Amino acid sequence: MEDLSVPRREELQPDSSPVVGISVCDSAPLIWRVQDLKVVRSGGLVGALLGSLPRTPRQNGRLGRPLLLLPEEERLLREGPGAAVLPRPGGERGAELKRRFEEEQTSSQEEQSVLALQDRKAALLRAMTSSLTEEAQQDRLGALDQNFVFPRSALAVQLSTARAGLHYCPEARSFLEAEQPIKTQPSPSSRFQVFRDLRGRGFFLTSAGKFGGDFLVYPGEPRNLSCLRLRLPPVLPPLVSSGDPLRFHAHFIAVCVESDRPVGVLDLLAVARLGSNVKKTVLLCSPVADGDVRYTSLQWSGMV
Amino acid sequence: MSAPLVEKTPPANWILQHPAYRQMEALEPADRAQLHAAFLVYMDLTEVRRWTEVSCMKSPELRVILLEGKEKDGAPVHTILPLPAHQSLSHSSICSVLDRGFPVLLCAVASDSTLVYQRLTDGLVTPDPPVGPFQDLDRRQHRKRRQHSVQQHREKTRSKS
Repeated sequence: MEDLSVPRREELQPDSSPVVGISVCDSAPLIWRVQDLKVVRSGGLVGALLGSLPRTPRQNGRLGRPLLLLPEEERLLREGPGAAVLPRPGGERGAELKRRFEEEQTSSQEEQSVLALQDRKAALLRAMTSSLTEEAQQDRLGALDQNFVFPRSALAVQLSTARAGLHYCPEARSFLEAEQPIKTQPSPSSRFQVFRDLRGRGFFLTSAGKFGGDFLVYPGEPRNLSCLRLRLPPVLPPLVSSGDPLRFHAHFIAVCVESDRPVGVLDLLAVARLGSNVKKTVLLCSPVADGDVRYTSLQWSGMV
Repeated sequence: MSAPLVEKTPPANWILQHPAYRQMEALEPADRAQLHAAFLVYMDLTEVRRWTEVSCMKSPELRVILLEGKEKDGAPVHTILPLPAHQSLSHSSICSVLDRGFPVLLCAVASDSTLVYQRLTDGLVTPDPPVGPFQDLDRRQHRKRRQHSVQQHREKTRSKS
């Protein structure tokens, strides 16, 4: 049901600006469609790509769709005009999709089982020394044939994102428009307030688990002088703007604390030491009363 | 022959009798551990680092002893917040010390009297960029690096066997 007190979306934004569809998988907000990824990135939200390549599944360097959003990024998207959760296909269509998926998995498992057995046999032949008689070798191979089991948990599941029809379809827009953002949100956490404030100032933010903080803050404003010290090509591609994590190192490790919560001096020292090791400033961030956020930079004093 | 000059050993409780300590004690801080920490920092600044115009005062909101001083004549005045390492403080306390208007140094005092100074500044301070000159590695240099590291690895394994 449309709420008449809220202006229709077409009045708020031009028709060309698409609504981003978020798919929620076990409470993880994912973005699958290329159009949506472009919109999200041009809005300054980075997220983390999760998908791998079929030929090199066990690697971390080249990743593809889907894009996992931070909880703060999802909330910011949903508070803005342009995002909503994609409806699950229900009823008959949903059941049919599920059945087709199960069939594909079963046939994939049979194929993989055959290939796995071949692999195992080849490995066994390589491992067996020539001191074993021909008969003993055949016995071993026979035993493997009989006892080999390929469990379902070992199945490599491949989702072909290009063929799965995840292109942007205009008729989904009507579904998404009907989903209004939730009116009563729980009070924003301190992390979200800091995220929103820094994003509002134009910084790019990613998660900082590697550095023991909450967010990594990349320089955002085009007037930031330190970005002039890096060699930039004469023309930047349109999707990558100044401060984008693809091109710049982070400047700050943001640690979000409530204003009154006591922090151990040793913890401050530990995070400051880490920051100086990686040449980043540690930023203590606390939301204060009037919706503002107070920042304190923590740096090495230089006094040995 | 004149008697050799014998140095009087200071009494065991020389800290408690030190005039600077007495001065800080008179300010009535909330706990003695912080008072002791403040004294150690005072001695470090005055005797070791030879800072000038070092004075102590009490922060009314936090009830801790703060020190003020200059690194040398003409240098800006700093506020120093000495704290024992096992204690904690909140961001709002840090902000109240920063609101005094001087650059702040937090000094953590460990149980063995090791002192660590960290600089606290209001706002976002961009870190100093890494020092150049920078040069992108071309393919030849990449290969050299890899060959070099493979050689090192070979030598190590050779020396081990």
